[in-house]
Amino acid sequence: MLAAILIPVILVVVAIVILIIAAIAVYNGIITLRNRIDNAWSQIDVQLRKRYDLIPNLVETVKGYAAHERETLEKVIQARGMGIDAKTVQEQSKAENMITSTLKTLFAVSEQYPNLKADQHFTQLMQELNGIESNIAFARQFYNDSVLQYNTKIQTFPGNIFAGRFNFTPRQYFEIEEPAARGPVKVQF
Amino acid sequence: MFENIASNRRKTVFIIILFIVFIAALGYAVGIYIDYRFGISGAYSILFMIFALIIAVAVSFGSYYYSDRIVLGLTGARQVSRQEEPRVYYMVEGLSIAAGLPMPKVYIVEEAGMNAFATGRNPQNSAVALTRGLVNNLDDLELKGVIAHELSHIKNYDILLGAIVIVLVGMVTIISNIILRTFIFGGGRRSSSRSSGGGLFNIIFLAAGLVLILLSPIIAAIIRFAVSRQREYLADSNGALITRYPAGLSNALKKISAYSEVMTANNATEHMFIASPFGKNTKVAFSGLFNTHPPVAERIKRLEQMSLRIGIKSDSEIISDMKLK
Repeated sequence: MLAAILIPVILVVVAIVILIIAAIAVYNGIITLRNRIDNAWSQIDVQLRKRYDLIPNLVETVKGYAAHERETLEKVIQARGMGIDAKTVQEQSKAENMITSTLKTLFAVSEQYPNLKADQHFTQLMQELNGIESNIAFARQFYNDSVLQYNTKIQTFPGNIFAGRFNFTPRQYFEIEEPAARGPVKVQF
Repeated sequence: MFENIASNRRKTVFIIILFIVFIAALGYAVGIYIDYRFGISGAYSILFMIFALIIAVAVSFGSYYYSDRIVLGLTGARQVSRQEEPRVYYMVEGLSIAAGLPMPKVYIVEEAGMNAFATGRNPQNSAVALTRGLVNNLDDLELKGVIAHELSHIKNYDILLGAIVIVLVGMVTIISNIILRTFIFGGGRRSSSRSSGGGLFNIIFLAAGLVLILLSPIIAAIIRFAVSRQREYLADSNGALITRYPAGLSNALKKISAYSEVMTANNATEHMFIASPFGKNTKVAFSGLFNTHPPVAERIKRLEQMSLRIGIKSDSEIISDMKLK
């Protein structure tokens, strides 16, 4: 008689305990992934700051040899300012894409100045910027991977149950929008 | 991947326990020997066992913290800075960001053979070492493939297990050798002339010596158990995932397999290299038995399947690449 009542009660208790443990595991999993995104973002940030620090230096060096490339130089500085002021991931990625493309133009322009190309400081800066550029690409890869994992987790079962309750919202990807890669390249003579 | 980390932790603990038990047993045996030979009853065997136990525990802790330095020292690797090796340094930095790892230290082994390894106790304290031949002969995509492979070993905690295995198993081998020489070839002869009962002990220690000789295949078996060949495949595919370019590593392996000899490598350190540092003419007898690496051809095949044949270099391209440099 007693056993007949006890066994279902025990079963229910065990089931509840298992459910709670599973819920904790899922919740912690989501938090871990979310923290990974923040960490990944800070990795990008470190690389971006390094680039911001190098740009004024670069602009000064180029000015010394190619003063009448003012327009190009101003664009680089403008893009840098946009990057520093960016608030959201979207703004940031837009600004960074601009910096990358304006730097490319700058390097292309510098080809016309043999003295500039021969400058040791300039070659060193270029090498550093190239290194940082590829680091940014890698950091972006890690960030986007992390975002993908997190977004998938909170949009699929059972993560989606928690997403509504605890207000987990999907994160934005750091997108590459190189106009040069999309449309035809404009060549000016 | 997380099962891999857990399994590596378990194996590391298992090997440390095995080492402590072995050393304690050895201390006990030496104690009994001394008791018997000098006619002191009972006390030394326990004393020696405790002494050996303390040493074993201390060595285990030491090897946890210092095994990476020992390993790097053994191979003659030298740490390099961003200024010295900007190409390699930037690659390691970028790929470790992509893998979500802290930046490991970068080492160069000044050897012409092409090889690489990673070591350390955890991702925060890790190092990647590349030979000069590797850095000079591989192009950027290939070198990135190799570095990403090594970073995967760091991420999977293969490095801790590998380093512990090298130090502890290496130490057991050295101790076995010392004991063999002192008791059988040295001490044995003297004791037979001086003390009574030496004859009996010679026989016993001859037997013990035989056991120690038999031990070496067991040690090899332990190394093989610890460093399953599966982990090389795993690091290959994880590495390809980091670079998003499996052909890089596959082309690199093709070049490496042509000349991967590292002079400073030995049986203990062999397993941690990306390709066998003995090349094709291996130093070890029964090489099949001692193989710690899966066949390179099989690894290349798997990577080429992953790459969908994008960027795979033909044999003639590989050969002309190597001639250029």
